[in-house]
Amino acid sequence: MKLGLVIDLDTCVGCNACAVACKQWNTSGTTGLLTDFEPYGKDSTGVWFNRIRNYEVGDYPNSKTVHFPMSCMHCDDAACVTVCPTGASYKRELDREDGVMKKCTLCVDRIYDENLPEDERKPACVMTCPSHARYFGDFDDPNSEVSIISRERNGEQLMPELGYQPVNKYLSPREKKNVGTYVNETNSIKAVKDWVNRLVTR
Amino acid sequence: MMMYHSWDSQNAWLRQILAQNYMYMNRQQAEAMGIKDLSWIWLESKTGRIRVQVKLMEGVEKSTVWTWNAFGKQRGTWGLDADANESNQGFLLNHLINEHLPCGDTGRPITNSDPITGQAAWYDLQVKIYPAKAGEVGIWPNFETIKPLPGSVRAKDKLRYQTHKAVGVSRSLKDILMRGDTRRDK
Ligand code: SF4
Ligand code: SF4
Ligand code: SF4
Repeated sequence: MKLGLVIDLDTCVGCNACAVACKQWNTSGTTGLLTDFEPYGKDSTGVWFNRIRNYEVGDYPNSKTVHFPMSCMHCDDAACVTVCPTGASYKRELDREDGVMKKCTLCVDRIYDENLPEDERKPACVMTCPSHARYFGDFDDPNSEVSIISRERNGEQLMPELGYQPVNKYLSPREKKNVGTYVNETNSIKAVKDWVNRLVTR
Repeated sequence: MMMYHSWDSQNAWLRQILAQNYMYMNRQQAEAMGIKDLSWIWLESKTGRIRVQVKLMEGVEKSTVWTWNAFGKQRGTWGLDADANESNQGFLLNHLINEHLPCGDTGRPITNSDPITGQAAWYDLQVKIYPAKAGEVGIWPNFETIKPLPGSVRAKDKLRYQTHKAVGVSRSLKDILMRGDTRRDK
């Protein structure tokens, strides 16, 4: 059994709902409490297991925004603290208050809680994502949702070259046709047209 | 969206995601105007002007700028520290927008809102943009810091919320012994 997440970068809209749901669930869970420092002051910080980064690819007008949720990827061969590729266990998720490093548990106290209805035995981030960009399941089972979707959409590991064998997979944004951009052109024909239009409206 | 209007400044988690706004501008347009990423610019309308921090991006039309409004807070208000990002980098567009449309000869002011929904019409404002001079940094206008009300206490410098009762991990003995054992799975 190899449990992990698939995150669809094509449909993720960067809303941060998964990050907040994760914090809400886990601050009360096995690894809680997740401390916030100077919550109402300058540059407030806190412990989060899931953070969204935002990028732009390409130049205007053919650019695209990509939102990139990052949490611990549950590497098979992890070197966590020395060189975690996500930063999940480097410094930032050190809870200064408890003096320990904390990270994504895949919501262990949801997925194994048999008191929850079966369809809720999933991570909080997966349950909450409004654009269904997150999937959870067993990568060892070739017929699981995560295996099927990573096969069909060519799911990729992040920084495989480091050799940590991260379990989580990312689905790349699909290639889409560019939508034409309205160009506010100024040329002589348009200038004459505008002038005539102005005369007419008067 | 992680922030809507003033209210969410009280939300300790949301303000960690975003505690200030920027004026977002097309990169190529800004470069042509000598405006650098994260520099300070003036934005001027018929009604007033403000100084704000600019962020350059690709995904915005060249003659348009946009922002999330309502980040700006007077220092000392909303239960935030006086040096909070909202009060020192966040800004409001209110200074640029007139309550009323020009009324011409009718003498009867017309509210500057959408005629159908009544929603404040904050989307069609024409502005002039120019870089701030050297030394002109920080938001403008600024107002004095509001003193705390008598008897009010500063918020805690640390929060440790429990949002629900922690659930026990409930697993049967069989499950603990069997699940995850790849030899038996196969
Ligand atoms: S992503 Fe990999 S290296 Fe980083 S904390 Fe998780 S298991 Fe460790
Ligand atoms: S699986 Fe659970 S702990 Fe991990 S990122 Fe999702 S919500 Fe957070
Ligand atoms: S909740 Fe879903 S859409 Fe929103 S940031 Fe997370 S993965 Fe992306």
